[in-house]
Amino acid sequence: MNTPTGPLSSGPAPSAALRRRRPRRDGALPYALVAPLVVFIGALAIYPTVLTIIEAFFHSDPLTPPNHFVGLGNFSALFENAEVRHSMENTAWYALFGVVLTVAFGTGIALLLQRPFRGRGVLLAIVILPWALPGVVEGVIWSWIYNPTFGVLDSVLKSAHLIGQYQLFIGSHQIETILLIALVQAWQITPLAALLVLAATQAIPDELYESARVDGANWYQHITRITLPLARPAIAIAAAEALVMSINIFDQVYVLNAAATTGSSLMSQTYFITFQDLNFGQGYAISLFATVATILLSLLILKVVYRKVEFS
Amino acid sequence: MRRRAGKVARVIALGIVVVWSLFPIYWALKTSLSTNVAAQSTPVQWWPGHLNFTAYQALFGAGPESQDAAGGIARSLINITVEATGATILTLVVSVLGAYAFARLHFRLKGALFYAVIATLMLPVYATLIPLYRIMADLRLVDTYAGIILVYTSGFIPLAMWIMYNVFMALPRAIEEAAFIDGASTMQAFRKVVLPTARPGIAATAIVTFLFGWSQFIFPLVLSSSSSTQPLTVLLAAIDSRDVPYTIINAAAIVAVAIPAVIVFFLNRWIVTGITAGSVK
Repeated sequence: MNTPTGPLSSGPAPSAALRRRRPRRDGALPYALVAPLVVFIGALAIYPTVLTIIEAFFHSDPLTPPNHFVGLGNFSALFENAEVRHSMENTAWYALFGVVLTVAFGTGIALLLQRPFRGRGVLLAIVILPWALPGVVEGVIWSWIYNPTFGVLDSVLKSAHLIGQYQLFIGSHQIETILLIALVQAWQITPLAALLVLAATQAIPDELYESARVDGANWYQHITRITLPLARPAIAIAAAEALVMSINIFDQVYVLNAAATTGSSLMSQTYFITFQDLNFGQGYAISLFATVATILLSLLILKVVYRKVEFS
Repeated sequence: MRRRAGKVARVIALGIVVVWSLFPIYWALKTSLSTNVAAQSTPVQWWPGHLNFTAYQALFGAGPESQDAAGGIARSLINITVEATGATILTLVVSVLGAYAFARLHFRLKGALFYAVIATLMLPVYATLIPLYRIMADLRLVDTYAGIILVYTSGFIPLAMWIMYNVFMALPRAIEEAAFIDGASTMQAFRKVVLPTARPGIAATAIVTFLFGWSQFIFPLVLSSSSSTQPLTVLLAAIDSRDVPYTIINAAAIVAVAIPAVIVFFLNRWIVTGITAGSVK
């Protein structure tokens, strides 16, 4: 009775020799264990993705039925729509600012925390905090900072005589609006980049730095010749994650920019076109376009930046 | 001398990091504790001065401004807690069982199924948002806890499974083999030996998943049409777009910050474990 595989194994237990020759099978148990996972992923991740791919080629609008096949019609309508084109351009800016700010801040913080010191644990907790907060909450908090009448940013800039009078930061100028909203998202996702790069720097053997020191290398050379090259895979992953999140930027845009076109992102366009204008076909088309772009760009970033690193 | 300068530069840089991370939260806290007049002074007042809790009283329905301002924050707090906790429990059960099978057991289609799950990690929100809304509408699960928890879970599973898979792969097989020699079945070894040993990894996965649940916005924005299921995040965005005093909006933001802040303060070790186990490799 007490065979290792237990009551779920059917038939006599295979001999040790047989087991060594072919991979062990565990009967029905593994299927029972993965079944809920497969059902969830199949029904609520893969099936919806397939729907997006199919529906992007159909006219589907609850306001003007019936639904019918339109080929690339949704896509050409999309690229003819000035607001959508504008949001594509904006999203490219969001992605650029998002990746650059996040990777720069994250790597900087990781370098500062690389060596152990008293209070590093507390500092790490402080650094992680913005990552743990909802994007909407961050949008609300920063909208008060950017407030054109009572905001702290205006107050500080005016006290420093950098601006003559209070001004509107969000919504007046395209690039400025995007940069400031991207900064809010960078505040949220920088901790992730910092943790990834920090983990990579912790794996670098101390001997490398010691022998560099013997050779007379200074701290700048330590960073550029040892730390950054060896942390490169982690920096690539951090950049890819920042890219995906900035192409998906929504919460911060929704709160700080609402439906205005100045800082609209592809995701906010998708939301308003689909759930306010109820133009599902075009919503699907943007979704498919953005999905493909996200996957291709993140693979590209990994291919360009990622290098496998071997110690020794 | 040079070393001294280097040390000073480091301390200044660390100071900037602390201000960058904490100032926005401090600012919301300070605003929420100020009077409406003090919150709107120019130039700004850096300290709250006399602490004032009227914004919080208004938010939780005790005060003259509570009528239009509060808009059911207590209910939205219950909603966000139920939804984040429900999704965390369901995600953990599903992904721990699946990850164990992938890490330790042998079965047909294992590789294909594993890569199918991992591939969905790459899917952005775009890929599933609209169809998930329509599926939930067809199932009559729009504006229900069940609908929101199912959607959250489907989104959280791939990462949770990936973290738990790495956790199980890092456990020495010897612990189970010892149990097998003692006559335990696979499930007995899993329950009595593997799960207790994997507890730190499970805790890390649970905490990271809960924080994701607490942060959700676009899915509940689409799936919760009434205050009966709207989480705090959706309520906050709604208050923010109405003509509500800044002190009350900031107080609501601080309420939404409180739980994640407590988690980060006491459990940040697990968060580091979870994030690094889920992303590197």
